[in-house]
Amino acid sequence: MIRVTNLVKAHGQTSILNGATLEVAKGQVAALVGPSGSGKSTLLRCVNGLEAFQEGEIAVGDSLKLTGGSAPPKATLLALRRTVGMVFQQFNLFPHMTALKNVMSGPVHALGKPEAEAETTAKALLARVGLADKHDAKPAQLSGGQQQRVAIARALAVNPAAILFDEPTSALDPKMSAEVMRVIDDLADDAALQVAMVIVTHDLAAVRRIADVVHVLGSGKVKFSGPPDEAFAPNGPAADLL
Amino acid sequence: MNARWLFAALVLALAAPVGAQEKPLLRWGGDKNGGAPYIFETADGKATGFEVEFAEYLARELGRTPQFVQNNWDNLPDLLKRGDIDVVLNGYEFTKERHDDTPSTVPYYVYSLRLIARQNEPDIFSWSDLGRQNEPKKVGVLRGSASQRYLEGRFGNKVRLEGSETVTEMLDLVQAGQVDLTVQDAPAAAYYVTPERYPGLKVVDEPAGYGYYVLLTRPDDAELREKLNTAIRKAVASGWLKQLYQKYGLWNPAQQRLSYLAGQPWPDAAAEFATDEAGYAPPAPPTLSGILDKLFVAAGYTILLAVASFPIAMFIGLVVALGRVYGPWPVRVLFTAYVEVLRGTPLLLQLFVIFYLPSQLSKIDGWEWMSALTLHKWAAAIIGLALNYSANEAENYRAGLMAVPKGQMEAALALGFTKWAALRYVILPQAVRIVIPPVTNDFIALFKDTAVCSTVMIVELTGLYYAYKVYPNLVLELALAVGLLYLLMSYPTAVLARWFERRLALTKEGGAR
Repeated sequence: MIRVTNLVKAHGQTSILNGATLEVAKGQVAALVGPSGSGKSTLLRCVNGLEAFQEGEIAVGDSLKLTGGSAPPKATLLALRRTVGMVFQQFNLFPHMTALKNVMSGPVHALGKPEAEAETTAKALLARVGLADKHDAKPAQLSGGQQQRVAIARALAVNPAAILFDEPTSALDPKMSAEVMRVIDDLADDAALQVAMVIVTHDLAAVRRIADVVHVLGSGKVKFSGPPDEAFAPNGPAADLL
Repeated sequence: MNARWLFAALVLALAAPVGAQEKPLLRWGGDKNGGAPYIFETADGKATGFEVEFAEYLARELGRTPQFVQNNWDNLPDLLKRGDIDVVLNGYEFTKERHDDTPSTVPYYVYSLRLIARQNEPDIFSWSDLGRQNEPKKVGVLRGSASQRYLEGRFGNKVRLEGSETVTEMLDLVQAGQVDLTVQDAPAAAYYVTPERYPGLKVVDEPAGYGYYVLLTRPDDAELREKLNTAIRKAVASGWLKQLYQKYGLWNPAQQRLSYLAGQPWPDAAAEFATDEAGYAPPAPPTLSGILDKLFVAAGYTILLAVASFPIAMFIGLVVALGRVYGPWPVRVLFTAYVEVLRGTPLLLQLFVIFYLPSQLSKIDGWEWMSALTLHKWAAAIIGLALNYSANEAENYRAGLMAVPKGQMEAALALGFTKWAALRYVILPQAVRIVIPPVTNDFIALFKDTAVCSTVMIVELTGLYYAYKVYPNLVLELALAVGLLYLLMSYPTAVLARWFERRLALTKEGGAR
């Protein structure tokens, strides 16, 4: 589904990623872990085309490909982003729209779907994240946890093949963090959903609970890819993060 | 001993010029802009004109040193009352009201009004033709001048008056066809309407609207006034004035009246001469209630100018701001230059360029095509205001666009929005909310800036004030009325904007509504 090969990314003199390679299968739940500054978020943003990279390749699905050092065609970027959704640390809800309109925005303004159809889908998704009663609330009237749940519903609304979660709970207090994680757990457990998920997080308990595969980053490379039990085993590659 | 003599000689040498300078000044106010043959500059920059020579004569008679003070013609009496000058000497006509406000001296010239038309003027061959037109003619006058009052009193709504600040400006407009005719004082007509200076113009019919040029003084300067009267009577009696007027080609039989008046009590004698050949007597000065309809039309013009130009300014500003923030570099460079040029030059100058320059340039050989760019005054005013304000609006929007957090664009792109859709549905709606206060501020400022349109002959509120502030009985209430009308326009705008702001607010307090 997503294949990252030898990704190299630097900001001026500072090297961030230095030949990172990983693969995410269809419907798989993958976690990216590693110390702060190891390039987890950057890798995620490269996959979504929000950041350019110098070398390597990112392939999504069978036909979409980003190549290091060259600006991708607009059509490729657009198709890529309609395949791979993103949930941000700071939620980034559109503050001038209600929760419902936020969730409808992708289907209506990006995919050109009729409002009525988008509204039906959006209401179902808001119910799924436990916010059926908040259709008309503006983001400023919602708690952080509620906002992030709307953001997840918004990402799901365009029916992506994969969703990238960029530290979805690190701006939240433990209680709100738990309520967001419950939603992500629920999505991960839903066998029918068939959405691949890549989660960058420091919540290692959640990683152990939901991840099929853990990728451990260090020094700009993926040092380990494997099941959580192995990654977090005593003396395992991610043991020092615990 | 020698040294002491040397010292004494030195003191004397230094004291002599100081003594000469101690002669008190006679500060006289006038406007040399387009002011020939009254006061104007020769090619080498020296002030000349019959009033310059007359001022020098008067100062000599009074034992004072003349000092010319330049100012806008219509503000000269204000300057006098403030005490910045001692007399106004610049073709000011005697009127009873003006005399009550700033007492006049005995007259130094008997002026008349001349009707000036283009050589090919098809309809107007006499003064009375002006009153017989089905479609009122556009007639230019100096704002607040005797010709304005004469035309208003004699023809009322049968003519459409267009005001300018200088004689030459108006003569240019008539020659270019933007105004049909103009009425100017005889000395200016005699000087300018010649085959050399304005070959396209001619003087029509006999002079009309006779009156007197007087000096204006402050009410409490009775002693100065008496000395001036004595000096003027002497200049009349000795033939000095006649020689002066002959030198400038201004002498005519009507001036003989000066000798008669010199022996009469002033200003009582002025009343004897209050009607002209046409049997027309100058009207009573207007009152506020008498010009109320004009006041409301002017207020309507102010609103029209602001309301017509601001949407254009907003649209151009939006395009320019989007280009500057999201466009490729050539667009950014071009739009940055656009903003800096329009923001860095005065609105008044821009308006002059748009309105007057094409017709001026079209006189040059090979530039005749410029006449196609000659705009109607309304088009020029609205375009001028819109262009000037578009630069401000562009900066407002740019600030608003940059104030929207980066994450908003990223979130929209991540959902698969095109860049344009992200701008349209996510960035702009938020930027608009941010810029409501500064844009409102500009809209209110625009209401007041429409005042510059009086320079392109649109009599909006400030233009109306300028046209009528020559009437001392009217000036205070008119100023208050005009100020109140501006306030009545800007305050509701401000209230409406605050309402919008609250309605569209993104914060908790606002969103809860």
